[in-house]
Amino acid sequence: MGINVVEATEITKRYGETLALDGVSLFVRRGSVFGLVGPNGAGKTTLLGVLAGLRIPTEGSFTVDASRVAVLPDTPKFDPWMMAREVVDLSLNLVLPGSDPSAIDSVLDRTGLLSVAHRRVGGFSRGMLQRLGLAAAVVGNPELLLLDEPAAALDPAGRREVLNMVNDLRGDSTVVFSSHILDDVEEVCDEIGILNGGRIAYEGTLEELVRGSSRLPSYRVRVRGNGGRVVDALKVCDWVTDVSGGGDTVIVSAGSAAVIERELVRCLARIDVAVVSVAPLERSLEDVFLEVTR
Amino acid sequence: MSLWRLEILRLVRTYRLWILLAVFTSFGVLGPLTARFLPEIVAAVGGGVEISVPPPSPELAMAGYLGNALQIGILAVAFVAAAALAFDAQSEMAVYLRTRATIHRILTPRYAVNMIAAIASFVIGTAVAYVGTALLIDAPRLGGTLVASMLLAVYLAFVVALTGLAASFVRSVPGAALMSVGALIVFGIIGLIPQVDQWLPSNLVGSFDTLIAGGEFAYWRSLLSTIILSMGSIAASFVLMGRRET
Repeated sequence: MGINVVEATEITKRYGETLALDGVSLFVRRGSVFGLVGPNGAGKTTLLGVLAGLRIPTEGSFTVDASRVAVLPDTPKFDPWMMAREVVDLSLNLVLPGSDPSAIDSVLDRTGLLSVAHRRVGGFSRGMLQRLGLAAAVVGNPELLLLDEPAAALDPAGRREVLNMVNDLRGDSTVVFSSHILDDVEEVCDEIGILNGGRIAYEGTLEELVRGSSRLPSYRVRVRGNGGRVVDALKVCDWVTDVSGGGDTVIVSAGSAAVIERELVRCLARIDVAVVSVAPLERSLEDVFLEVTR
Repeated sequence: MSLWRLEILRLVRTYRLWILLAVFTSFGVLGPLTARFLPEIVAAVGGGVEISVPPPSPELAMAGYLGNALQIGILAVAFVAAAALAFDAQSEMAVYLRTRATIHRILTPRYAVNMIAAIASFVIGTAVAYVGTALLIDAPRLGGTLVASMLLAVYLAFVVALTGLAASFVRSVPGAALMSVGALIVFGIIGLIPQVDQWLPSNLVGSFDTLIAGGEFAYWRSLLSTIILSMGSIAASFVLMGRRET
């Protein structure tokens, strides 16, 4: 059993003239939660389809070192005449025939569907279908779970349950989790891959991504008015690479955090302004995502 | 829950089994009734115009049943089979199955259950037509009815197989059903060539009238070709659907 569950090398997928994936290489460690993020049309669903064996790459090669792979599409659908329990029951019997049927009720309970287990799914809302899809996916103890926007249609409580379930799966299953909700990715994923225009723009840990981004370290200075004077004073400092703002807030950037920490307070002390606070500008995944996908 | 039970539930809960039974059974009732009372019906609606109709006979009753039952029945069988076999019509549903089972495992119960349902409905309709004819007119030839029914059962299985093959070319339920029915019509047109007809599945449709009327069995070629074409269609659909992306 290798260290990586997924090893994809130079995967290219064309639909006629459209290049959906352009030389994507991806490595997903066993037992990790891997976040796949990217703007609409970046190729996330296509990449998940390739990894699930549902789509054949035009070029490149990949190996999936897992015997049980489960996929949750972004909008799961089932035969409307089936009952919720039957959907999960069928899933269990297809993947792990002869398993203890108590697993069905257990997973329905975890996804909040036990009370509607004997209702036909034709009347289910999109959120309920997404929960059911997740229940059908996890009931077979998948070694690799591919989740395409699993929380997109859920209310905050449902989203929390999904994130908790994904967290619970960590270590037992490997999860590849595509999402537009960067907070979710930030919360549950160990590593991320940013897809943009069919290419992997970044692959690695979140910490490395935020730390290693090309944006210069910045600080936010809050003052009691006179922000314009602060901007004017900082503009003439040779260590400042960028300064903006005015009024009560000024943002200043420099080549390194150490330079700002050493020089900024010294510079502020030279001008007669009331300083409320000086703090580093925290970079969110969203900032970095927008920067990488720009 | 197994894939076999899934297909049985699909037929029962979507009322498709009852639709098949209703089509064949209703014509099984109407065929003998129409044949028995045709002279009276014609006299009643003729408005004084004298129209000659053949006297009621078991052959006429069974032919009347079959003519109507096959026209509507084949259409019903094609649509019911397409609803199960064109499972790629909704890709999200297809993902659920395709990531959990092989294409052989998915399709085998769909073919088998739909073939059995189509044949069972036809056999029940034929039995109703036979009993009705025996009660109202006279008993048709039992041997001829049984042999002809078996040939048409093979033909209905072929319709299901052809629909499965069509479903591997198009992703829509009506598209697969209509493509299948279109192919059957093409077979019928090609069958206008006498030398070719004896090798075509459409030749089996004509066996009913002939065998019930006491005609000789001359359907080995079309029976063989129908079985081969059915098996070939199923095998081709396994390959084509197995290669299809979702």
